[in-house]
Amino acid sequence: MSFLTIYDCSSLVIDTLCDEPGEGGEDNVVACFYFDSAAQKEQSAMSVLGALLKQVVGSLEKIPKEITEAFRRHKKFIGGRELQLSEIVKMLGSLSSTQPTFLCLDALDECAAPDQAKVLLSLRDIIKISPTTRVFLTGRPYVGDEVEKHFIEGTALLSISPPNDDIIRYIKTRIAESTSSGEMGVKLEAEIVEKIPETASEM
Amino acid sequence: MDNSHDSAVTDNRSEILTWLSPLEPHLRHNDIRTTRVKDVGDWLLYTEEFRSWRNGGGQGESQKATMFCSGNLGVGKTYIR
Repeated sequence: MSFLTIYDCSSLVIDTLCDEPGEGGEDNVVACFYFDSAAQKEQSAMSVLGALLKQVVGSLEKIPKEITEAFRRHKKFIGGRELQLSEIVKMLGSLSSTQPTFLCLDALDECAAPDQAKVLLSLRDIIKISPTTRVFLTGRPYVGDEVEKHFIEGTALLSISPPNDDIIRYIKTRIAESTSSGEMGVKLEAEIVEKIPETASEM
Repeated sequence: MDNSHDSAVTDNRSEILTWLSPLEPHLRHNDIRTTRVKDVGDWLLYTEEFRSWRNGGGQGESQKATMFCSGNLGVGKTYIR
């Protein structure tokens, strides 16, 4: 659990997009990926984009013909062949152009550098095919330059520094959840609630 | 959800989805969302940046398709555990 894995704003955004239809009243298709530096081996650009494609396809009542055909084609090979990154990008672009689609990737800084560049290039290509697709990214500030470099039409940037109210509410809830009554003194709790927002504002 | 009663079709569907990716990112999402603290972060949803990014897709104009939220890690693990 990381408090500022951009303090869970990815999961909040994902749930909001899933629950509330867009202006046109249609349901949104929302696909997500949470990067984790401890699992970089299974986070190649191909597997990340594959995981997004899987979620977009999974939201459809019927699997599109182009996917079933590709599946049959690739199955002919011994052991079954995987889709190539370029094929995944093409499919994601074409599927997301038919419905409001949001691709949300959390903690981009936890993706290994070569894959990070490939992921961003792929997202750029998807937007080229389907300009209505929305991409939501989070990460530490230093990956911001990398992100901006890839999206020529511009990136909406938002720096997250949680208001103190949020921090205090968060800490109180966590303390209440993690300790049985009496285990943590009221005084200690008050001290933590006072100190953490101060420290956070200095970051 | 697959409402099909034809098990061959259902099998094929899950086989195709697994072939697309063996990963299950929505499981991680479910883990995270259940630990989220109510109302924390809601202000983000009301920012102009978020609203115009979110609604821009429907108008087909050259709006910003990408949104990047940045912040530093550090408070949670060290101080709370």
